[in-house]
Amino acid sequence: MSTPALELTGLKKSFGKAEIIRGIDLSIGTAERHAIIGPNGAGKSTLFNLITARFPATEGTVKLHGEDLAGLQPFQINRKGLSRSFQITNIFPAMTVFENVRCALLWSQGYKYSFWNLVNRSRQLTEGADAILDQINLLERRNLPAGTLSYAEQRALEIGITIAGGADVIMLDEPTAGMSHSETDYITDLILKVTEGKTLVMVEHDMGVVFGLADRISVLVYGEIIATGKPEDVRGDPKVQEAYLGAALEAEH
Amino acid sequence: MELILVNIIDGLVTGLLLFMLSAGLTLIFSMMGVLNFAHASFYMLGAYFAYQISIALGFWMGLLIAPLIVGVLGAGVERYGLRRVHQYGHVPELIFTFGLALLIEELVQFIWGKNQMPYSVPEILNFTAFSIAGNSIPAYKIFMIFTSVAIFIGLLYILTKTRVGMIIQAALSYPRTVEALGHNVPLIFMGVFGVGTALAGVAGVIAGPVLGTFPGMAFVLGSIVFVTIVIGGLGSLWGALVASLLIGWITTFAKSYNIQMSDILNGIGISTPENLSENVFRDLWTVTSPQIADILPYILMVLILIFRPAGLFGKRHS
Amino acid sequence: MTDENLTTDPARPAQRMRAGSLSLTFTPWIVGGILLVLMPFIFTSNSALTIMNQMWITVIFALAYNMLLGQGGMLSFGHAVYAGVGGFACMHIMNASDFFSSLPLPVLPVFGGLFGMGLALIVGSFSTRNAGTVFAMISLGVGELIAACSVIIVAFFGGEEGISGDRTYAMPFFGNEFLQQIDVYYLTSFWVLLSAALMYLWSRTPVGRMANAVRDNPERAEFLGYSARWVRFYSFVASGFFAGVAGGLFAINYEILTEENLNTTSSGVILLVTFLGGVGFFFGPIIGAVAFTLLQTVLSLQTELWAFYAGTLFVATVMFFPGGLAGLMMMHVPAFRLGKANHLIVPYIKTLIPGFIGILGLCALVEMTFHFRHAATGDNEMTLFWTTFDSHTILPWIIAIAVTAIGLGIARATAPALKEAWNEANTAGGAA
Repeated sequence: MSTPALELTGLKKSFGKAEIIRGIDLSIGTAERHAIIGPNGAGKSTLFNLITARFPATEGTVKLHGEDLAGLQPFQINRKGLSRSFQITNIFPAMTVFENVRCALLWSQGYKYSFWNLVNRSRQLTEGADAILDQINLLERRNLPAGTLSYAEQRALEIGITIAGGADVIMLDEPTAGMSHSETDYITDLILKVTEGKTLVMVEHDMGVVFGLADRISVLVYGEIIATGKPEDVRGDPKVQEAYLGAALEAEH
Repeated sequence: MELILVNIIDGLVTGLLLFMLSAGLTLIFSMMGVLNFAHASFYMLGAYFAYQISIALGFWMGLLIAPLIVGVLGAGVERYGLRRVHQYGHVPELIFTFGLALLIEELVQFIWGKNQMPYSVPEILNFTAFSIAGNSIPAYKIFMIFTSVAIFIGLLYILTKTRVGMIIQAALSYPRTVEALGHNVPLIFMGVFGVGTALAGVAGVIAGPVLGTFPGMAFVLGSIVFVTIVIGGLGSLWGALVASLLIGWITTFAKSYNIQMSDILNGIGISTPENLSENVFRDLWTVTSPQIADILPYILMVLILIFRPAGLFGKRHS
Repeated sequence: MTDENLTTDPARPAQRMRAGSLSLTFTPWIVGGILLVLMPFIFTSNSALTIMNQMWITVIFALAYNMLLGQGGMLSFGHAVYAGVGGFACMHIMNASDFFSSLPLPVLPVFGGLFGMGLALIVGSFSTRNAGTVFAMISLGVGELIAACSVIIVAFFGGEEGISGDRTYAMPFFGNEFLQQIDVYYLTSFWVLLSAALMYLWSRTPVGRMANAVRDNPERAEFLGYSARWVRFYSFVASGFFAGVAGGLFAINYEILTEENLNTTSSGVILLVTFLGGVGFFFGPIIGAVAFTLLQTVLSLQTELWAFYAGTLFVATVMFFPGGLAGLMMMHVPAFRLGKANHLIVPYIKTLIPGFIGILGLCALVEMTFHFRHAATGDNEMTLFWTTFDSHTILPWIIAIAVTAIGLGIARATAPALKEAWNEANTAGGAA
C-alpha cells in the first residue's frame, strides 16, 4: 500500500482540563474525498486546526505524505502542499477578487519574497489567476473588491484561493455553511470540479453534500472517531445512528 | 547601607507613581485592546487642574476635584472620540490617541504657557518626616506612598470583591457575552476609561509639586509608562506593578551610584585602551550610570522583547 | 451565476486592463518629472528652493513611512531614527575627506539608505514578529532609546550640537560642486523621482502585494505559504532604506544633523504628514508632504500657535476623514465616472466657503484669546488678517464671534443640500 496523503496517529488536544480531541487515528489516501461529520461540538473544526497547525497538538502526530508536520508553521505546511479554507469566510476583503487569487498563486509559482519581479508583468500569473476565476465562475467579478461580493460568491472565492496554490491536499471547513439550497448545489458542483484528482478533506454539516461528494466518511463524536467507511456503510452503522441521531435529537430539544 | 534604604524609598515613590499610570493604562488596554497614547497627558492635566484649583481652594480640594474633572474628560474622550474611531480599527485608534496627546500638550501650552507652574507641596506636608544617616525623607514622599497604596487597595477591592468589579472583569475577557447578559458594555468601557484617566489624574496631582508642572511632563513620563507595560506584559496588572517598581528602583539606583563603564570593563578584565580620545568606542568607556539611568528602561524593554516577547507576566501569543 | 460567465474570454478584460494601466502608469511619472524640472523656473527665489527641497525630502520620508503604515499595516512611532541614522552616517562620510573627495555627491544618499537599512535589519529582526500595538510599542521604545543615545554616544551623534559637514568637498559631479541651492534642488528632485518610482514598483512586486495581504489578513496569508513575519520584515527593511535616503538628502541639504532628527517629535510629524495625506493610496503621502510643508511654512510665519492648529487638524482627520486628503479626492472618482461631478460645484461653494470663513473666525478667536492671556502687560495691540486692533476692547471680539457664528451657521444650513447633491451625483441615471 502506498503512503497515505494524510495520516493522523493518536492525535489529542486539550484546552486546559477539557480534552476536546481524544486520540484520533485516521488515514486518508491520495485522491480520496473524505468527509468528517459529527454533531455540534464534536471537535471537527478543532481537528482541522490541529492538522493545519493553527493550534499545536497536545499529543500525537500528523503526517502529510509520510512526513511529520510537528513543529511546522502554517506557511511551511502550506508549502508542503496542504491548503485549507475556513469556516468563517477568510479572504482579503479590501483587494479585488483577481488580486485575492493572484496572491494565492504567488508562492506556488516560485515568486517567494522577491522584489525584482513585477506581478502585473507576469503573463503566467495573470492567466493562472484568470483560469481559477473562470473555474469558480467569478471572472465577471474580477475587478470588484472581494468584500463587496455576495456571501456565496465569497465562499466560492475562498475555495478558489484555497485551490489556487496547486496544493494536492485540500481541506475545506464547512464550505456550504449558511447557504441556500441552490447555492449549496452550486458550491457542491464547484468542489467536485476543482478537486478533481486531489485529496479532499472536508468538514460538513449538510448530509446531502457529504453523501454526494465523499468517497469515505468519518464520524466524529466527542473527540473520537466512532466509524469510518464508505457512505452507505456509515449510514447503516447502528453506532453512528445512535450517536448521531441521539445528538441530533438532543440538539432539537 | 543607609543610602540603600533611602534609595529604596525613592525608587518606591517613582515606582508607585508609574504604577498609578500603568495600572489605568493596562486596564484600558485589556478591556478595549487599545493603548491610550494620551494617558500621560491626562496625568499632566491632573497636575495643571490641581494647580489651578489649589490657587483658589488649596491643595486638598485640588486632590479631590482635579482627578474628577480629568476622569470626566477621559470618559468624554472615549464617548465622543475613541468610540467613533473604533470602527476604523486598532491602528487608527492608536493614531487618534497619539494625536490627542499632541493636542493636549499644545492646549496646555495655549492655556498656561510654556513655563513651569509654581505648584508646590502644601505647607502642612512640607517638613522632614525622618532622617536616615543625614538624608532627610520629606513627609510628602511618605504621603505619596500612602496615597498610591491606598488607591490600589481600593481598586483591588472594587475589582475583586464588588459586583461592578466582577462585571468589569467579565467584560475584560468576554465583552459580547456580558453584553448579551444585559449589561451596558459601552457604558462599562466609558467608565473604565474614565476611572483609568482619573487615576492618571491623581498621579498628576501628587507628582506635580515634586516632578514639576510643565508642558513636557506628559512626554517625559509617557513613554516610560508604555515601556513599563510592555515589560510587564501587555494587559497584566501584576506585570505592570512589578515592572513599575523594577523601573523605579533601577533608575533610582543608577542615578545615585556613580558607576563608570570603564570600571566594569576593567573589572571583567578588559583594560582601558590608550589614547581614549581617539578611540571609536571612547563614549562607551566614559559612560556613567547616572548618564544612562533614563534610558535603562528602554534597554530593559528591548532585552525583554528579544528574550521574552510576551513580557514578564504576559500570556504567550499563540 | 449563469453559463454566460463561462463563455467570457478571460484574456480580453485582462488585456484591456493592461493597456489601460500602462498609460496610467507612465503618465503621472512623466508629468511629475516635468513639474520637478520646471518648478525652479516658476518659483525662483532661494527661499522657495529651500521649501521645495524640504518638501521633496519629506515626500521620500513619508512614502517610506507609508510602506509600513499604509501598505504593511505597521504603525511606527520611531521611524525618524532610520532617517536620522542614515543622515548621520552621510555626515560622517562628508567629514571623511579622503573618501568623500572621491565620491560624487549624488551617490551619497545611497549610503544613507544602506545605513538606514542596516539599522532596520537589526531592529526588524525582533520588532516585526507582531504588527499592531506590540510593533508600535517596540518602535517607540527603540526610537526613544536611540534618540536618548544621541547625547551619550557623542562620537557618532555629536551630542547636543550635532554633527555638521560640507557637501562641497565631494568629488565634482560633471564639474558641479553643489555650491548653489539650485544644484541641490536638482539633486533632491532626481532622488525624489527615483525613490518614488522604486517604492511604487516595490508595491507591485510579489513581496509588496503580500504586504497588503498580510496587513488585511495575516492568518490567511500564512495559509497561502507566506510567513507574515518575513513579509513584514522585508517591508520594514525596504522602508528603512528609503528613510535613510531621505536622511542622506537632509544631510546634503542642511549640512547639519542634530538630536532633533531622531526624536519622537520628528517621528510624530512624519506620521502626521502621512496620515494627513492619506495612507490608503500610494500618492497620499506625496500630497501630505506637500500640503504639510506649505502649511508649516505659511502658518509658522503667521502664528505661534501653528502646532496647535496642526494637532487639531490631525485629530479631526483621524476622526472624520480617516482616508486623508487622498481619500477625499478619490471619493469623487465615482461622481466623475458618472459625469456628474459638475453637479457638486455649486453646493460645495455654498457650504465650504462659509464654513472656511467660519473656521477663520474661530481661529481669530483662538488667536485673540491667546494674545489676551499671554501677551506682555500693556501690549494690547495685535495684528490679525492684516488688521491691527486692541485685543482688550470688545469690538474685535464681537466681530470675530459674529463671523464664526454666521459662517458656520450657513455651512450647517447648506450641508443637507450638499449631502443630497452628493448622493445624487453618486447615483447612476437620472437627469444628467
